[in-house]
Amino acid sequence: MPETLVQTRPAETQLTRELTYMEALREALAQAMEADERVFLIGEDVGVYGGAFGVSHGLIERFGPERVRDTPISEAAIAGACLGAALAGMRPVGEIQFMDFVTLSMEQLVLQAAKVRFMFGGKATVPFVLRMPGGAGTGAAAQHSESLENWFVHVPGLKVVMPSNPYDAKGLLLSAIEDDNPVIFVEHKLLYKVKGPVPEEMYRVPLGRSAVVREGNDLTVVATGLMVQRALEAAETLSREDGIELAIVDPRTLNPLDDEPIIASVARTGRLLVVHEAVGTGGYGGEIVARVAASEAFDYLDAPIRRLAGRDVPIPYNRELERAAIPQVEEIIAEARALAQGRV
Amino acid sequence: MAIPVIMPKFGFTQEESTIVAWLREEGDVVRMGDPICEVTTDKVNMEVESPGDGVLGGIRYTAGEAAAVTDVIAYILAPGESAPAGTAPTSRRQAEKATPAEAGKAPATPVAARIAAAVGLDLAQVCGSGARGKITRQDVEAHLAGRSAIAPQPSHPRATPAARRVAREHDLELGAIAGSGPRGRIQEADALAAVSPAAPPAPTPESLTGTPEIIPLAGMRRTIAERMTRSYQQAPHITFTLDVDMSAALELRRVAGEEQNAPSLTAILVRACAWALRRHPRLNSYLQDDEIWLLPRINVGVAVALEDGLIVPVVHDADRHGITSLDATLDDLVARARAGRLLPDDVAGGTFTVSNLGMFGIDQFTAILNPPQVAILAAGRVERRFVPDAGGNPVARPLMTLTLSADHRAIDGAVAARFLATLRAALEEPARMLL
Repeated sequence: MPETLVQTRPAETQLTRELTYMEALREALAQAMEADERVFLIGEDVGVYGGAFGVSHGLIERFGPERVRDTPISEAAIAGACLGAALAGMRPVGEIQFMDFVTLSMEQLVLQAAKVRFMFGGKATVPFVLRMPGGAGTGAAAQHSESLENWFVHVPGLKVVMPSNPYDAKGLLLSAIEDDNPVIFVEHKLLYKVKGPVPEEMYRVPLGRSAVVREGNDLTVVATGLMVQRALEAAETLSREDGIELAIVDPRTLNPLDDEPIIASVARTGRLLVVHEAVGTGGYGGEIVARVAASEAFDYLDAPIRRLAGRDVPIPYNRELERAAIPQVEEIIAEARALAQGRV
Repeated sequence: MAIPVIMPKFGFTQEESTIVAWLREEGDVVRMGDPICEVTTDKVNMEVESPGDGVLGGIRYTAGEAAAVTDVIAYILAPGESAPAGTAPTSRRQAEKATPAEAGKAPATPVAARIAAAVGLDLAQVCGSGARGKITRQDVEAHLAGRSAIAPQPSHPRATPAARRVAREHDLELGAIAGSGPRGRIQEADALAAVSPAAPPAPTPESLTGTPEIIPLAGMRRTIAERMTRSYQQAPHITFTLDVDMSAALELRRVAGEEQNAPSLTAILVRACAWALRRHPRLNSYLQDDEIWLLPRINVGVAVALEDGLIVPVVHDADRHGITSLDATLDDLVARARAGRLLPDDVAGGTFTVSNLGMFGIDQFTAILNPPQVAILAAGRVERRFVPDAGGNPVARPLMTLTLSADHRAIDGAVAARFLATLRAALEEPARMLL
């Protein structure tokens, strides 16, 4: 595969073209399939139907049913097929329609895919990507709205990626496809329609590199996925109304985590707020907090570390309750304001 | 039957008083009318008398603590009777502190009482954080969880890691730093302020000064400090000085002395001020926010020096007193001021202030305004000085230097000058005041 552009954010000259998060993913898939014939798509309705949310729309016409394969309704089969094909030298990209259903493929992912490379002393690699949209906000209730990324963070041998914008979505997916390890690629349903600058060329956003998406001196916010967008929105309000400047760090890859930018930012601001959509208890925020508390940034903390996360409940069907279960912009504003103003 | 002793209300605007000292102790037998403790407002000290015969008990506030007016501060009990429990202190300060409830019937919310009963918990062991010290469900749960919602260990002050780092780097004692964060937590900025060169210089080492005797800035001292600071910072002071020939005033004093007692010069001064204020109402006013209030009554305050402090009793309607009457009134006020026996109304309502340091041998000085008043007169001693007479020859005259301080927001120079001219006329020709 030709070595192409590796960067962490678009240069000014590349800001002209805008794509949605979904289009960016589709372009990454197409470019990867174009560049490497070992790459193929597999999942429920990824072919004619174009995928549950339309990410693979039009790809079966372009690459044929051999490389865009519909499966029976079996997430275990999708994951198992990815694993087997990867071991046989292919680079499959599987799709789980809703992240909730990944529960059915845990054995293949956790007991098999994550272990193979290590149990065979590095003689086998498992280069596949399993894409899945997580998150609430669509009124899809408890079984179609979960954010289960931290389950996979807890498994050595799996990489977990969670893009928060179209640029990262494309660049991270290309890196994930080229990686020799199983990668859990967590998308968000509410981000699919979000637009942003996406260069046309086949650039990569490296795995395991956090991004400082906003500079500020008053408070560090570490957010993942959709919450990065909400934190950015909150930051604009706080800057305008309170003169509070948030630094926002997006880990982008949850595992392996690049914690240096987080620690450096907290050491500068002395205050940390972690925001994620998944439930708080046992959530990814705890990992961030623990790393900061154990780091040299500890001695710079000037307030308790705070977490803002999904409530510890199954996502309710009622829209108001669903909204209340997930961190909203106004909650981020309130938490950040209280922290920055020294009220906690 | 326990008789509650409440914190009395001495003045209309008074909301709380501080206990200065308990004159009697718990268990002392007291009779109705016996003074049992001394309390102070920001202005005066008063004694609280026993409301009945019995034994003093259930003291709720120690010396130095403030109690809201009508708060129960103690009880007068029958012999052998114990103080009523459950009537938790009601002052804000006490309620905030979350004190352990009294033994017996502690006030608790129904749900707190139910939980406590269910687990066999004695509510007397629980700290109440609700209104009036009431024990809430959270308090019971916190107690059961083995943690108290209150109070850090004084030996281990609350401080953020950043503050601790700064303290460590600069070899600071955290306990000596005041915390500005929630619940008094020491923040990084607090620690930095303690090391910053911009901070006020550290106190001179005691090796050079000797061990100081510490006088806390409390009570009257604090009131003076706060009022004078505010006045000096907020009111743009302008001062005007002139000399007054006191020959006629002294003659008046001699003549009055032949009639009855010779009045003090202060009494004559107050009389002249009241007379002049009647003619220059602008000086007899308050500056209240964006308004100047011209006041119909002329109440002249006279600064009285105390052993440590200063108090300004007020002669109300000073313009309606003759000099002899003023003198008697002032004698009474000064005597009571020195004995700490002024009533709140004695020090309230002043519209103009006179401060006379002549008896201390001061030639002249400037005084700081007593807000919301807009003018204050500072008088020096009467001294025989040579002045040229009509023929240009030196003659010795008894002169007194008067300095008027005025708030320039309300008073312009010409207004002040005209008032001073009237005042001089009254003092140099006292017969005018008969007209």
